[in-house]
Amino acid sequence: MAFELSLISGALVKKQAVNEVMKCNDLTSKFSLVLTEAQALALVETRSFALKGNGRIEFGGGVIDKIINEFCDSPYLSMHNYEETLHELLEIFYHYKNETLDLMSDDDLIKYMKNAFNGICQGSLELLSERELYKLARNLRYGYAPDYSDDIIELDEDEEAEYDEYEGY
Amino acid sequence: MMNTRGIEKISRIKGGTLSSEYYFQTLLEQAYMSGMLSDIQLEKIQFDCLSLLAKQTERYNSGGSSSIQVEAAQSLLTSIMFTIGVWLKTYPNPDEAVAVMQKDGIYVLYQNGRKRIDRLIKSAKMLHSSIMGNLVQTGNVYYRSVIVDGIEDFFKLYYPEFAAQEIHITADYPVHHMMEQLAGIEFIQKYLECIYYENLFCAQFPAEDVHHLLCGYDEHYEHFLFNIYEPVLSAAIGCILSGRDAYRLEMVPSSTKILSDLFRGKTRTEIDEIIMEAVGRLSALMELTEPLKRYLVGSLPQIATAIEKAVLLQTLDRVFILPKYPENNTKLIFSFGEKMDDKKYRKVIEEIMQCRYLKDKKALIKSEIHSLADLEDILLDAELYEEETLSILSELNPAEIAALVKKHPMPSVLDRYELRESEIELCECLQKFLAMLPEKQQDLIKQAVAMLEV
Repeated sequence: MAFELSLISGALVKKQAVNEVMKCNDLTSKFSLVLTEAQALALVETRSFALKGNGRIEFGGGVIDKIINEFCDSPYLSMHNYEETLHELLEIFYHYKNETLDLMSDDDLIKYMKNAFNGICQGSLELLSERELYKLARNLRYGYAPDYSDDIIELDEDEEAEYDEYEGY
Repeated sequence: MMNTRGIEKISRIKGGTLSSEYYFQTLLEQAYMSGMLSDIQLEKIQFDCLSLLAKQTERYNSGGSSSIQVEAAQSLLTSIMFTIGVWLKTYPNPDEAVAVMQKDGIYVLYQNGRKRIDRLIKSAKMLHSSIMGNLVQTGNVYYRSVIVDGIEDFFKLYYPEFAAQEIHITADYPVHHMMEQLAGIEFIQKYLECIYYENLFCAQFPAEDVHHLLCGYDEHYEHFLFNIYEPVLSAAIGCILSGRDAYRLEMVPSSTKILSDLFRGKTRTEIDEIIMEAVGRLSALMELTEPLKRYLVGSLPQIATAIEKAVLLQTLDRVFILPKYPENNTKLIFSFGEKMDDKKYRKVIEEIMQCRYLKDKKALIKSEIHSLADLEDILLDAELYEEETLSILSELNPAEIAALVKKHPMPSVLDRYELRESEIELCECLQKFLAMLPEKQQDLIKQAVAMLEV
């Protein structure tokens, strides 16, 4: 008798998730960001694909509403790229949940993504995924602090070398 | 009045159709197939299991993550179903278990299962500590590494909350009884029970006699993966049947002859009867407890099968093993002698390597090398051709050849990875040289190799 984990993802669960996403409109409308029901459903489907593609399973409402609530005040989001960015962010999120070996909680990972997206990446999803989160995942896997960077070490060494040079005078 | 003992209640689900390892899953399957569970009831049970999985996932992630990798979720679900199965097994009748499943609900069954697993862990730990105080005094590495270290590691690693079905260790040391397919703490509990009875039986005999008996099995039994209890029980039965002292496990060649005559031409049923009667006499003689006696009786089918085959193949001496006393074997001690000074050795080896002709190399060796230890180094370091090595070996006496063969036996495929090329070449040359000798001389050298200590 198949005891399938996929039994959990029924139509009821999907409808509940769409409702939760739609509720986020109350908050995001302040920033002129609103999703239609069709867009919300598309996001829920992207979540399902992302979960399946990354070999994960999710119980409860999931993280779509958390991502929306965290990113809605981003200066790099507008009605033109809102839905598209959310689809990308969802895929990136589940990919890096695996890559970080589940060492970071959902909230911490979303917060990290938001800070990087709004800060050093200046709204570039490519930089966020290929550089910042890649570094984060590598650091966590090798046991370094999440914000550890080889560049800092190199910079420190350069500074020290410069300091030594000045000391010589 | 009718005797109702031994009469079982008729059950719609046959116990034989249920798996010991996947009890809950097979019980659900059988209950559904026999019509005891409807589609709706089955779906409810599955949904309850998934709800429980959601709760366990939250705990597993410490509430920090709403998703989990599928493999981890599958493992959690298996753990949940194993835990429920542990509780349902406490009901002797599968029908009752199905009724309880419907009445109590999955969450209650899971909680009861967890409590039962905790009790099983406690009793297994007590059993293990009792075994530790009563270990068979043997040098067998597998026996100690599994029963002492392996089981301790299991208790360290076992985490019933999220991985109740895991065994973690391989439990290489085999027990005599056929182990049914079990998982998690149920497996360990059953395994330890078997070990406990086997130890209890082996403890009836002096450790020295057990050692000599096992030497009869193989002189290097310390490195063999086999069950110690089986040869001990067989030998004890053999002693009883051949009129020897069972306490000493001391069978003699004539005992094998007696046993051979006794079992020749007997049917399987007759063999069963003979050894059953012998175990009865053995139990009475040693005043064995009832549970231990039951364990011995449970071991008899395997021993009877071994006897039946051995009678046909005339290898009864491999079932009823005769003790061996390796300490009485003649030992030859051979010294390779002292090595020369490193500086001088370097000079000699350089000179040998510069020689063009073999006769010059041999002359140098004869004049400069005075111990077998140095000659061995030369054979390894001088980059000699095969025919040169064979020619040098032909100058040695058989005792020296035997010593070299003892020190450089033909390496196995695995050993070859650890040896230098020159070492492998020397081993091959020695074997080639041996093969070229007359057969009589080969036998003499092989005998010497067996007795030598270098």
